[in-house]
Amino acid sequence: MASRTAILADLQEILSDFQGRTYDDPIDEETMFFQDLGFASIDAVVLGETLEQHFQTKLDFNPFLKDLAARNAKDLSVGDLVDFLHRSL
Amino acid sequence: MPFAELPPLKIHYQQSGSGPDVILLHGFTSNLSIWMFGGVMEGLAANYRVTAVDMRGHGASSITADGYTSDVISADLRRLMDHLQIERAALLGHSFGGVVAIHTATEAPDRVVAAILSDAYFPGLRSLEPNMGQASVWQSLRETLLQVDTDIGPQVDFPYLFSVVGNWGDDQRRHLREQLGPIGERWLSSLVRLARTTAGVDTFATAGLDEERIASTSVPVLALYDEHSPFTKTSEFLRTRLADCKQHVIPQANHLAPLENPTAMVEATRTFLAELGY
Repeated sequence: MASRTAILADLQEILSDFQGRTYDDPIDEETMFFQDLGFASIDAVVLGETLEQHFQTKLDFNPFLKDLAARNAKDLSVGDLVDFLHRSL
Repeated sequence: MPFAELPPLKIHYQQSGSGPDVILLHGFTSNLSIWMFGGVMEGLAANYRVTAVDMRGHGASSITADGYTSDVISADLRRLMDHLQIERAALLGHSFGGVVAIHTATEAPDRVVAAILSDAYFPGLRSLEPNMGQASVWQSLRETLLQVDTDIGPQVDFPYLFSVVGNWGDDQRRHLREQLGPIGERWLSSLVRLARTTAGVDTFATAGLDEERIASTSVPVLALYDEHSPFTKTSEFLRTRLADCKQHVIPQANHLAPLENPTAMVEATRTFLAELGY
């Protein structure tokens, strides 16, 4: 199982240049995908595909997105995603 | 990454599950994530191989300056089916995706097992829906945007909406985030991309899919209209004029059933396809 620290480092690397966008501010577990990183809904799907490729494994990303919507969550933090990946990998 | 190279297009899609093929077609200004956030894709993937597609100019697919009428998008879909070696599929289309489904069913009925239409508005049936211009979804958006001093007008007018979105300043975007939340604000901001295309006009063109041709649909159809749908007359037309059309109402939904009541949508779709032996 990958450590949370290692997963966060991987996410920081992936998000530093994602979909043609670069971010100058540091990315930590408090960073919000939609509010801070300017994600649109499709970016969340593409990120799931990128993570599957990066970690070379099939992730249950669609149920994760569904749960997010079911909770009526207004955003998703990097920490939420680290939690998901920590459970999944 | 799941992209199909269909020059000059690069079409983004996702697949999940195994079994007979079902293809999900989102509506205008939406993208394939609508099927994930609501759980429709996951729900259908229990029985089918489900393919969700980003139409050109939408989601992660490439954008073209023109070519957004239902006949062109239907041709894109058939090219994608060829690429993915999907000979036949059931098509589930939301809103404009339903128009593409019927366009495909009438153009290539041998490739369409059935068409499931979620609250589709057909430009070719505009005479039936004189109130379409004041659709409640548009009015709701109008009310929201009035709170940031933006009036998109009482009539559905996407080219105008696109131009408005392109002219917003940082203050208006911040207020929008407060009103709609960051996800809603991002959806609106993403429309700037379509503003540079003919999509706002093309989507409302009949493109050969007139009343007579819609009525000639020979494949089984499920008219899946929302309880608070603005398009009930279209649903009645489909039920009474098509050779093989069932009608089902999705409760507690107002044009956005894939998000507002995905459970009912999955159940109705599975039941309909099972009755067809699919």
